[in-house]
Amino acid sequence: MPAFKTIEYDKKGGIAHVRLDRPSVHNAYDTAMRDDVFQAMEAARDDGEVRVVVISGKGRSFCAGADLTEFGSAPSVTAAREARWGRDVWGLFLSMDKPLLAAVHGHCVGSGLEMAMLCDLRVAAGNALFAMPEARLGLMPAAGGSQTLPRSLGASKGLDLLLTGRRVDATEALALGLVSRVVPESRLSAEAESLAESLAALDPPAVAAVKKAMRHGSGMSLAQGLTLEARLSLRLAAEQGRAPSTPSHQIEGRFP
Amino acid sequence: MAEKPVTLSQRNGIAVIRLREAGGHGRLSPDAAWELGRTCERLNWDASARVVILTGCAGAFRFDLEGEEPSAGAPLPRSNKEACGGRAASAVAGLKAPSIAAINGDALDQGLELALACDLRVAAEGARLGFTGVSKGAMPWDGGSQRLPRIVGPARALDMLLTGRLLPAGEAHAIGLVNRVAAPDDLQQAVQRLAEEIAAGAPIASRFVKEAVYKGLDMSLDQGLNLEADLSFLLQTTGDRREGVRAFLENRKPRFVGE
Repeated sequence: MPAFKTIEYDKKGGIAHVRLDRPSVHNAYDTAMRDDVFQAMEAARDDGEVRVVVISGKGRSFCAGADLTEFGSAPSVTAAREARWGRDVWGLFLSMDKPLLAAVHGHCVGSGLEMAMLCDLRVAAGNALFAMPEARLGLMPAAGGSQTLPRSLGASKGLDLLLTGRRVDATEALALGLVSRVVPESRLSAEAESLAESLAALDPPAVAAVKKAMRHGSGMSLAQGLTLEARLSLRLAAEQGRAPSTPSHQIEGRFP
Repeated sequence: MAEKPVTLSQRNGIAVIRLREAGGHGRLSPDAAWELGRTCERLNWDASARVVILTGCAGAFRFDLEGEEPSAGAPLPRSNKEACGGRAASAVAGLKAPSIAAINGDALDQGLELALACDLRVAAEGARLGFTGVSKGAMPWDGGSQRLPRIVGPARALDMLLTGRLLPAGEAHAIGLVNRVAAPDDLQQAVQRLAEEIAAGAPIASRFVKEAVYKGLDMSLDQGLNLEADLSFLLQTTGDRREGVRAFLENRKPRFVGE
């Protein structure tokens, strides 16, 4: 494991922790952090002992967004595009078979919120503040925010946040569906840990199958999604050495 | 001469489209729909229009099916102008700039379909929203059966469509059908504030965000992520993006020019 400069990575009992660690700038996301997060996520993906990944921030915030002091430093737009797909850190998040849990507090803004939205579950501290200020700054989301927010909240609530850039507190974030749980700040890491433990106790192939069904099924017609689900459940049963719970006609996509 | 059915006023980057027709017609008249379409098209070529507000005089969102509802025996439209009465909402949804419906009275049937075609909806307390058509043997025909479930989910949409129940503004807010509720006297101000908030952003960025959201929802997530990335790189060529970052680092308000 390489020494990380902008994050902390450790694992214990099947739970890997990625802690964003630039507290003096509210864990602003820069290219060094991108490289560190990418390596840490690859490590978590490839480590057979890791069953769940928890992403959190050290200091007062989860992540205040992209480090704007770096903007405009790419030699050209086309070079920036090359770099984006050369190290597709967000694609790596989405391709993970293991559950990703974001435990957020303080500022969870811009790229920080986008990173959290690429996780499977989000737990927020009561002091968490959410916003997508990009358009107010002449920017637009580039870590999936224009895709993940509307898919989680619906187009209108998503556009409300994306166009106004307004701040949303934890209570409203829960009502909007940005996060699934809110806990007192002092309880955040304990709650995240216990949720992570319950996720780590699950059967990894079953978790992977559910994640695949959700991720790929959501972009399909319902009929295609049902076929995908049936196929995944059959394969899962085979992997686990038990009889399939899916009737064969459903798998083959025909009437009984 | 009769008053124009659709009027447009623009100030400080905010365009207001006002429907002058009162309710009870069953649908927007072909004249009004034609005008609305032309107005939206014009705004799409007008870079100074950063936000569009759609509103009416009292009750103008009300187009319930009391009157001349389209029936199976009705003659086919004879002209483009006549035909566009049925696709007024598409013109509104085709607006490139962010749009807000200011719902100052009941938004029923085509009135609600027009509001659904806007990105955001602000309703006055006391306003009700719903589809009354199905109980009278009709169905939505200006996008309602498609846009409503995409905004509130299929179960809530079917509840509204099949029962014809009218939702009070508060309940509409709770299910995400409207984004804000304001007292009737404060509605205009609340909408204006929301429009100013959005107009303070960079216009090209806002249009790109809107494009990425709607086109992205019609794609797989992977395709949507590609679209977002490409639009964000295209945005990097704008002066407004450089200005926005500079202003942030200099801790001042940005001055966006839409270039």
